Amino acid sequence: MFLYKRYLNRFFIRLGLATFTLVALGPVLWGVVTSLFPLTSLTSNPLDLNPLNLTIENYIRVLDTSRGLFSGLINSMIIATFTSAIGLVVGSAAAYALARLNMPGRNQILLMILATQMLPGIVIAIPLFLVMSRLDLVDTHFGLIMVYLSFILPIVIWILKGFFESIPMELERAAAVDGATPLQTFQSIVLPISLPPLFATGVFAFIESWNEFFFAIILTRINVKTAPIAIAEFSGQYTTLYGQMLASAVLASIPVVVLAIIFRRFILEGFVEGAIKA
Amino acid sequence: MATLELINVIKKFGEFTAIDGVSLHAAEGEFLTLLGPSGCGKSTILNMISGLEDVTAGEIRMNGKVVNQLGPFERDVAMVFQNYALYPHMTVAENIGFSMRLRKRPKAEINKRVFEVANMLELEHLMHRLPRELSGGQQQRVAIGRAVIREPSIFLFDEPFSNLDAALRVKTRGEIKELHQRLGVTSIFVTHDQEEALSLSDHVAVLRAGKLEQHGSPEEIYSRPASKYVARFIGSPQMDIFSGIFLHSNGTLAFQIGEATIPLPANIQPPTQPVDMGVHPEYVILGKTGFGASVRLVQPVGPFTYVTVDWQGGSVTARVNGVSHLKVKEIVQVQFDPEGLLFFDRETEKRLNM
Repeated sequence: MFLYKRYLNRFFIRLGLATFTLVALGPVLWGVVTSLFPLTSLTSNPLDLNPLNLTIENYIRVLDTSRGLFSGLINSMIIATFTSAIGLVVGSAAAYALARLNMPGRNQILLMILATQMLPGIVIAIPLFLVMSRLDLVDTHFGLIMVYLSFILPIVIWILKGFFESIPMELERAAAVDGATPLQTFQSIVLPISLPPLFATGVFAFIESWNEFFFAIILTRINVKTAPIAIAEFSGQYTTLYGQMLASAVLASIPVVVLAIIFRRFILEGFVEGAIKA
Repeated sequence: MATLELINVIKKFGEFTAIDGVSLHAAEGEFLTLLGPSGCGKSTILNMISGLEDVTAGEIRMNGKVVNQLGPFERDVAMVFQNYALYPHMTVAENIGFSMRLRKRPKAEINKRVFEVANMLELEHLMHRLPRELSGGQQQRVAIGRAVIREPSIFLFDEPFSNLDAALRVKTRGEIKELHQRLGVTSIFVTHDQEEALSLSDHVAVLRAGKLEQHGSPEEIYSRPASKYVARFIGSPQMDIFSGIFLHSNGTLAFQIGEATIPLPANIQPPTQPVDMGVHPEYVILGKTGFGASVRLVQPVGPFTYVTVDWQGGSVTARVNGVSHLKVKEIVQVQFDPEGLLFFDRETEKRLNM
């Protein structure tokens, strides 16, 4: 009876997970299928998914350097890499200071950091555009990186602050008694045990800026078009090139997926472990 | 090895005075315990000795030299923390050898020393485990190993047993005492457990709200507590304390509690101020003569039985050897061994020497 109940439980859990996976991955799968067949196969009734019709023509076309996607991927790579790298370096230093130093106005600073997250992007879009154009930063990598940092940094700071607070003070004190300088303590104690959350936060920051669409479309024109913008442009006023659009989307997802697979262990540890068992 | 001296040490956190003029000393090779309830400042004192915490005023001297301005490492102290504070990403061997690696000792020397220390603490078979793969007692031994390998002048222990279960606690206590006997390094030990303090120490310093209440040998602290506070803190079960008055009649002296009069030796000079009397359970005798009392509680603890009886409006606990066959509500006679009677000034709570 007991065993039976456990199997039943397990069955429902698996059913739920399977449903979730299907709902989440279904559109992705359909996107991949769409990108690999000519439009005629997909619009025929009934659907004609004959493997003989498989083609990579869509991929060849979108990777033509004269089209926007290739430069879009490069722009996105530059912007996301710099955003996540700067975000991690600045954010972890700020988070460590906020977690460990007893400075005046600490809570106010934290609240202000959080408050910047409360305005929806649309509210600041126009003033932001005005400021950026005055500064001649529209359609530049630097400008977009700055804007992305403005919303990535608060999240990085809050996530890492929580983590740093969970490291017992005694670890650092023990290192001090063992004769470590503050820098040595950071290098050989704090940094190594912080790697999982740092990687997890870094991947998160990368994905956020890689996928960002709203500010990218407002603040870029020709030079710094990112991958999401390039993909959106396949949807024209009169026709939408679904095959090419989805081929681009598949290509644009690859770096993120690869990143997630490489750092899978760290991401899991970083988000699951939360607190360190000392 | 080193001597340690605290001279009128004061520590303030903002407006709050955590340590209020504490002076202490530990001789070379001495085991000194700082004892007190949580919040009495004992850990703060330890942190000041270690150099992890600044001293607001006063001096800390090691071997006669003022060390106030020195960092933890320069003071040549090693510390065992309450939660062990093992580096979670390092193996047992790496944890123990960390301080030597920081000092860039040759690898062979580090390995040799780590092995010696691990051998002494019976950790050889765990060298490549991570702290999270160890039991509480094993983690504790690694923490001790990390301190021992330093060969410091002074060991500092911050409630190192509080995360261990009762049986392991007693075992580890013995191990620490043996370690101290073997290495002879001056040790400062912080605890809120009076039994630990009494069983380990050469001297005990009892602290109360940032002040030193009494500093003496375990025997002094137990038998001649400086105040009611110390008397209540030391001994388990606690000392019982009663209010009463001195009586002179027919040239004999007695102390009256409620309706009971306890005869006292004639050589005592009774004080004039109001006085309370305290007595540890082993000086309370249940027998055929004395003052009637009704048994309230019988607690066998193996070699002894603690019997608590209702007596003169309060209660008093007696230690009876072996198993007691007394039943609850049974009437017994209570007597006191005059040897064990302590008198305290009711106002100042200080013990009176009589």
